[in-house]
Amino acid sequence: MPRITVNDVEREVSASPDTPLLYVLRNELDVMTPKFGCGLAQCGACSVLLDGEEVRACITPIEAVAGKAVTTVDGLPARWAKQRGLSPQQAAGKLHPVQQAWIEEQVSQCGICQFGMMIKITELLEQNAKPSDADIKAALTTSGPSPHLCRCGSYAAILEGAQRAAKLMAQGAEA
Amino acid sequence: MNAGEILSVHEARVSRRGFLGSGGALAVVIGLHPSLAGQALAAEAVQVDATRLPSWIEIAADNAVTIRTGKCDFGQSSIYTAYRQIVAEELGVSIDAMKTVISGDTDTTPEGGGTFGLLRSAQNLRKVAAITREAALELASQTLGVARSALSVKDGVISGGGKSVTYGQLVAGQDLQLAIKVSGDLNAPFGRRVEGNPPFKPRAEYTIIGKPVTNPSLEPKISGKAKWIGDVKLPGMLHARVIHPATLGSTLVSAGKLDSAQFPGARVVTVGNLLAVVSPNEWEAVQAAQQVGGETQWSEWAGLPESGQLFDHMRNAIDWAEYPVRPGRANKGDAKGVKGARTLTAAYGMPFQKHAPISPMVSVGDVRPDGSVTLHTISQNPQHLRRMIARMLVTGEDKVVVKTYPGSGHYGRSNGGSAGSEDEAVILSRELKRPVRVQWMRADDMQWSTQSSASVADIRIELGEDGRIAAYEAIHRGPPMQDDRLVGAMLAGLPVIDAPSAETTYGFQSGLVNIADTWVYAKVDNVFEQGHGAGQIGQKASPIGVGLRDHSMRTPIQFQQNCPRELAISEAAALAGKDALQFRLDHVTDPRFTAVLERLRKESGWDTRPSPAPAARSTGKAVVRGRGVSIMLRDNGYWACAAHIAVTPDSGEVKVERVTIVADVGVVINPLQLRRQIQAGCLMGVSQALFEEVTFDKGAITSTDWAGYPILTMQDMPELRVVIASDPTTDEYGQGSESANALAAPAIAAAFHDATGKPIRRLPLRPEHVAAALSV
Repeated sequence: MPRITVNDVEREVSASPDTPLLYVLRNELDVMTPKFGCGLAQCGACSVLLDGEEVRACITPIEAVAGKAVTTVDGLPARWAKQRGLSPQQAAGKLHPVQQAWIEEQVSQCGICQFGMMIKITELLEQNAKPSDADIKAALTTSGPSPHLCRCGSYAAILEGAQRAAKLMAQGAEA
Repeated sequence: MNAGEILSVHEARVSRRGFLGSGGALAVVIGLHPSLAGQALAAEAVQVDATRLPSWIEIAADNAVTIRTGKCDFGQSSIYTAYRQIVAEELGVSIDAMKTVISGDTDTTPEGGGTFGLLRSAQNLRKVAAITREAALELASQTLGVARSALSVKDGVISGGGKSVTYGQLVAGQDLQLAIKVSGDLNAPFGRRVEGNPPFKPRAEYTIIGKPVTNPSLEPKISGKAKWIGDVKLPGMLHARVIHPATLGSTLVSAGKLDSAQFPGARVVTVGNLLAVVSPNEWEAVQAAQQVGGETQWSEWAGLPESGQLFDHMRNAIDWAEYPVRPGRANKGDAKGVKGARTLTAAYGMPFQKHAPISPMVSVGDVRPDGSVTLHTISQNPQHLRRMIARMLVTGEDKVVVKTYPGSGHYGRSNGGSAGSEDEAVILSRELKRPVRVQWMRADDMQWSTQSSASVADIRIELGEDGRIAAYEAIHRGPPMQDDRLVGAMLAGLPVIDAPSAETTYGFQSGLVNIADTWVYAKVDNVFEQGHGAGQIGQKASPIGVGLRDHSMRTPIQFQQNCPRELAISEAAALAGKDALQFRLDHVTDPRFTAVLERLRKESGWDTRPSPAPAARSTGKAVVRGRGVSIMLRDNGYWACAAHIAVTPDSGEVKVERVTIVADVGVVINPLQLRRQIQAGCLMGVSQALFEEVTFDKGAITSTDWAGYPILTMQDMPELRVVIASDPTTDEYGQGSESANALAAPAIAAAFHDATGKPIRRLPLRPEHVAAALSV
């Protein structure tokens, strides 16, 4: 049986090795934040981090994730706590700064694309702590297999959310 | 007075059903007394037990307030923000007391009706809240022994004459019911309407309306706690993929044979022309459906014009005389008889566009042995969907419950109930006697859902010697905007309502085309507007009755009519040698339009001059720039928009650099959420203007994914400036999540004319259409 590590927990799965990670996460492991959007790596709704790199779970077979760490939006708070070395008490009830910024900026309209957006911005901010607006736009447009699409048109809010997240992460790094 | 009745107020009655040892509540329900029940309710009670209907508002002994609405949230946030603010304001409680919003589910909400015009619909709960406040003041008067006229309410406390009582204390230990009068039909497209005329709080006294209240439904979504429609799992559930016909008119010749060795858990299900593959394993269902679909034979059909011929087809092949015409409400004078000093005649075209939710439709149907049905889905009108499902199954509406969940935005596609997959899930569950989850794939959603209807407009503007509009004539033609039929039921050969036609008036299903774009240029003396309807394209010729089905989409029909009108006004301004913004000011009389246009001039950095721009060019590799303006009146909202764009003539590339919107939407319930709605709506509009067009060949839609139907990306985003500039004197609530998406297209296309000197009279401004416009 294949074993994959999702949000810091190693899990044994029964799916065949060619099964896309998205179906395994959602149906077998009950990790529901990556959403089905297109199944074609054209939209970004299913994005997850694979060893810190954003990939599209809808076209990534589980055999390709063996020995690597998968992080979904569910796992972002623990990822942040680990990176910052927060104690369980300090981390209790805390969201990742990107999630916190998304709430503070009231980014979402329908919200279905925002899981992928938050994953992509987490990847960006882990590599570039002070991105320009152009960096953020490029991350969400040209850096992956396709642009991350928002049909509601929340891009202005996403830009503000990403900039706020950068500030929150900088504050968290100082604290 | 009936047993238990303790007072009546504004046609509503309060009764005490009993005393409780602990807790206590006041619940607002629909009147049960025969004199209170509307006729529609009495008729409906045949199928629906009115005594079991849930309340509109409940106030508990701990002062917590619950509201229930039949509307669903699609990201506008209004039912979680504006609705709570409106109710809190009328009740006189704090926003924090508004603990719970229950929405959508047909068994727990009393209202029904589609999720559109949310602030208009909010008048129901606003009235219920005002009636409840008045009843509470009467109750408090009895309880405190203080005259009603001496009492007032603030922050949940009713006080006067040196005494006070909270809402919670008033209801503690009691089972109180406030029965209100309603009209309308729970399962009809508009749902129920609350009757009575209680006094409303004056705008000057508002303390909660107008505040930037945050949306409490976001935290559960962003943290990952919320259950979305795609996340619903039921015991024994099967995953289904539907293999839709090869064309919009094909019937099933032979279903492909399942490779059972490769897909041992899968099976094929056929109901008429509805073909599906199911499996307990979703990935197996996906793969097996591809295998079976590849070997399935469908009849050939070629009943569509190709999308490249759409406008020619609409102008020349459709018999528009079949359907009665609809005159504009603003028609006056003798527009046809006026001949001016100069004349603009222009033909405009608006393509089919897609609602295109990011996640394709998904539903779980659960038909149990006793014939009861629970449908888990996402809908803008669950009660109407319930009626359609009951009709399909030829069963009572009381047998069907529709449960709703957060999901991908629909932008109007499901405001008649269905968006696709719901009926298929129910049909397959009935066949298989297990819960069935139908997930549409990207191509299913692009090819088998409805679309925003195409339209063509012929506009003539006569300019007088003074350069002003002497006459305006516009003929708008298009197929109907709304088809509420269940497409899976049609494939399966099960009962559905009639297709929209000249005769049908089911809900919004009229085939007639009204003039939906309110006329705003009051200084024009001669106006003639007319709408022409027709059947849906390809539908009559389709053996399965499908064809290109239409459905309302964000600012429906007004977008299709306002875009050509505003473009023509800008072209007329250019013909008159006048500045396009000033030209509009010269023809409006409503001071609210004057105000938003003057504000737009300032906020957008508008350079007042005639179009085209002095440096306009229609050839070359160098960028040329221009700006355009548009205005709209919708739902008491006054809107003005300026777009600044850059065009590269030789490549046909159009880049929108800056969009400025000024909105006077009357009373602003929540400036924070309104700004987000306007920003997002505006960007969807830029997307519609630049990229969006449904393509099809003679049988099928060919724009099947995001490559074939591109939408705006983040890098295409212009600089946005949103100015909310409300008239402080109006008491009217406007809207916010519509209009903004319709403003960009005419402003952008007018800016194209300004930049290049060539008009573009169709959307979208993709390179191929730009090249055609520049070559004229």
